[in-house]
Amino acid sequence: MKKLLLAVTLMMIAISAVSCSSGPTLRLLNWGEYLNDDVITRFEEEYGITIKQTIAASNELFYSKIISNTTAYDLVIPSDYMVEKMVEEELLLPLDYNQIPNRALVTYMDGVVEIYNQMTTTTLARTGHTVDYSEYAVPYFWGTYGIIYNNRVDGLEEALNQYGWEVFFNSTDYFPNASRAMYDVPQDAYATAMIYLGHSPNEYSATFLSDAQTVLEGANFSQWGDDQLKKDVEAGNLDMAFVYTGDFLDRLYIQLDEERTIEEITADFNIYIPDTTIVFIDNMVIPYTATNLDAAHKFINFLLDPEIMALNAESVGYAVPTNEAYDVIVSHIDDTDSFYHNWAYANLTYYNKNAEGTYYPLTSLPSDFVDDITSMIDVVKTSN
Amino acid sequence: MTDRYSDYPVATLKEYGYRDYSKLKPVTRILKQVLSFVIFFGLYLSIIIIAIQSLNSSSVMSSFESISLKWYPNILQEDDLMTAIGATMIVSLIATALATILGTFFAIGLYAMSKKKRQQWMLLNNVPILNADIVTGFSLMLMFILVNTFIKTVFTSLPQAWSIFGLPTLVLAHLFFAIPFVILNVMPKLKETDPNLMDAALDLGVKPLKAIVKVLIPAIKAGVFAGMLLAFTMSIDDFVISFFNTGETFGMSFDNLSVWIYGVIGRRDLSPSVYAFSTLLTIFTLVALIGYELSKNRKGRVKIKK
Amino acid sequence: MNSLYKRLAIPYQVWLVLLVFLPIMAILLIAISNLTTANFNLSDISFQLSHWNDLVENQSLVDGEYFNSYLTAFKNSFIYASITTLVSFIFGYFLAYQIKKSRIKNKFIILTIIILPMWSNLILRSEALRSVMLDNNIFKSIFGFDILPFSVGTPAAVLFGLIFTYMPFMILPVYTALEKIEVNLEEASLDLGLTPFKTFWKVVFPLSFKGVVSGSIMVFLPTFAGFAIPKILSNGNIVLIGNIIETKFTYNIYNVGSMLALLILILILGSILLLTRFDKEGETLL
Repeated sequence: MKKLLLAVTLMMIAISAVSCSSGPTLRLLNWGEYLNDDVITRFEEEYGITIKQTIAASNELFYSKIISNTTAYDLVIPSDYMVEKMVEEELLLPLDYNQIPNRALVTYMDGVVEIYNQMTTTTLARTGHTVDYSEYAVPYFWGTYGIIYNNRVDGLEEALNQYGWEVFFNSTDYFPNASRAMYDVPQDAYATAMIYLGHSPNEYSATFLSDAQTVLEGANFSQWGDDQLKKDVEAGNLDMAFVYTGDFLDRLYIQLDEERTIEEITADFNIYIPDTTIVFIDNMVIPYTATNLDAAHKFINFLLDPEIMALNAESVGYAVPTNEAYDVIVSHIDDTDSFYHNWAYANLTYYNKNAEGTYYPLTSLPSDFVDDITSMIDVVKTSN
Repeated sequence: MTDRYSDYPVATLKEYGYRDYSKLKPVTRILKQVLSFVIFFGLYLSIIIIAIQSLNSSSVMSSFESISLKWYPNILQEDDLMTAIGATMIVSLIATALATILGTFFAIGLYAMSKKKRQQWMLLNNVPILNADIVTGFSLMLMFILVNTFIKTVFTSLPQAWSIFGLPTLVLAHLFFAIPFVILNVMPKLKETDPNLMDAALDLGVKPLKAIVKVLIPAIKAGVFAGMLLAFTMSIDDFVISFFNTGETFGMSFDNLSVWIYGVIGRRDLSPSVYAFSTLLTIFTLVALIGYELSKNRKGRVKIKK
Repeated sequence: MNSLYKRLAIPYQVWLVLLVFLPIMAILLIAISNLTTANFNLSDISFQLSHWNDLVENQSLVDGEYFNSYLTAFKNSFIYASITTLVSFIFGYFLAYQIKKSRIKNKFIILTIIILPMWSNLILRSEALRSVMLDNNIFKSIFGFDILPFSVGTPAAVLFGLIFTYMPFMILPVYTALEKIEVNLEEASLDLGLTPFKTFWKVVFPLSFKGVVSGSIMVFLPTFAGFAIPKILSNGNIVLIGNIIETKFTYNIYNVGSMLALLILILILGSILLLTRFDKEGETLL
């Protein structure tokens, strides 16, 4: 027993010793595996600031961690609708662009500008306030959602390219034997059904809710999941799933590492990005709890450097938000190193900045409607 | 002989109601062994699959490519994984140690009560064990938020970054469900002890605390160890309660392995090194256990020689 | 025993009262409030009961039928927890009995072997089980056949996961109860002419019943309120009440989540009362 006590005491001393030795720190609240280790190393070397990263799996968790003030984070990376909610509840500090000189050296891609405009529009419609979100947020990564499909199924690729959403939702007329899956996020499911019905995914009413329910029931989903979806399609255990385009690229890169070619891989599974789909953007924002504003601004500025942003994208399957970083990535298209070549190819194919389409970011819905959506999804799940 | 007695009605063993099952015995024995094996296999199936996955050279989990040990040394390369393992170990070891010590003393305290009172308190002791994880986790979080706010209003000099969420809340939350397991295991052993034992020690002038340490605890050692093992298991396996009560202390994120895994699979892929770590932990424990059993047997044999 | 020692329990009494009752009160208050955000700002919270209507109303038209997802989820929880408990009892009792009859007498070793799988993360274990229930899986790619005869998304898949995850909680109490039965009793019964089978039913089983009740509760409750295993092994298609609570908490709809949690809490307190009828101090709980 005494030994045990001694061990505990020693451990406590060790921990406090470790904590005392560190200099200035940046407390970053981030998604898992969403920041390249090389970027961390370079930032720490350049500024002498240690990055302490905490990871969370959902925007709602970011929100609760900030509002409950359990830890004072200096920088958070929430998505579009959560930024709206945080601004609305005055949880974010405006950025000081004097400390972000790199902002003037880069331009946001058209798609990104469009998302910020839409966020402003939906916010105006909902609250009556005009908010310029670039005052609070600098984009980190963004990306579309699409339908990852099993290309071993004959005719599925052609049908998706020709009929789009119809193939995914209309399970009576199209591929009745194919298995379909939806991302297990109630608002995403509702939004896709709304797009299929020809509405904006950000409108809501009781009628829309029951229409969406009918659509989701008609799709006859065999699965509601998150990270397994991409792997199931990859392994041929599932035929179609609504996922982040980045989910597909994750698996693509992993298979490329296993020495397969892009042609071989996409013959097995590929992603179809509908002309009208939802899109997300993750943003660097500074919460009101921040203690090291200087480090937070330095980090934002550092990330806006096209080289650094491209470096960060090497380990993450999402799209970079600035034209300059995009150019860095696609300039590798003639690279002899197969990784860099494939990386450029993937960005040109799946995140091409000239792609035409209507992309909706999801807005922050009132909580009683979120409650209704979650209940509706539970009904769809339990009723089959 | 047969002719002479053939007229008499002879009752066979069967007619006495005795059935000869001995022929069936080998069959039932094999059946029992097979069924036991199947159940054990079911209990360990997931662990076996994790072990297989940890040996797969490919990180594509649906097919096995070739045997490779590369994910094992790779554990050390994964900084985030190492932090999570460290956090898990720190939280679980502190919580287990405290739960074992405190739980043992609390059990002695409860044991000293009258039977009726003790039963009432043991009833309450069962609540943390039986309560749904999600209810425990969420409600503890609510309480800790209140406590945190209270501390920060009283001690205004505390830095903004200071918070009880992290190591303190995790250890307290783990203690909440670990102490009852220790008490449950210690209590039956206390009842088995001779009540005169302690009285004799005290009559002989041994100080009360010393009497516990020197006399009582050796007698209930088996229960304390069993309680410690269960407390550690519950602590290392916990996800939901830790999920609600995690945070940062000393600038270190105390997300345990479960919370970390849940966070990582939110947007990216899990490194197969996680499987390697799980496999190592299981194998290490099994080897330690077998080693312990063997060394004990050897000791036993020496005794017989004497 | 010196009554002086009673004082040792005082801190624990305070601790238990605080940490058992205060959180329950908090859940109760939130269940009757309008709290649908993680913002626990007391001035924004007010009394609200309207969401309780959903328990009885919440009826959505599905194929022309009325339907209540909460009640269906409760019903699902009950069915899955019952089957899991029953099967765990049959297999778990059998294994505990075999262990008792075996030569291994060291309880610590038995305990460790039974609970060792729990040292690996629950999500990892469930995902591992899920992975071999898929059509194309790692086991099949090595051995050429499926190890488990059912596929993901079926009730059998969920039950398999639940049964083999929670069975240790059945084995341990039953083993503890069996261990306490004196060998003489069994021998006496056999000597008196009872068949081994009758000895088991008339002597051993009644004496171990305490352990069976504890084990059943230890299996039933986490199965009833849990969410990870059904979610992973059913492909999200089988919704138990724990899954609904988890979704509500995830999206910060705390009042509805707390309302449902409160109903589970009532079930749990009921179980504890039931337990005390058979086992006054929960001795065989583990």
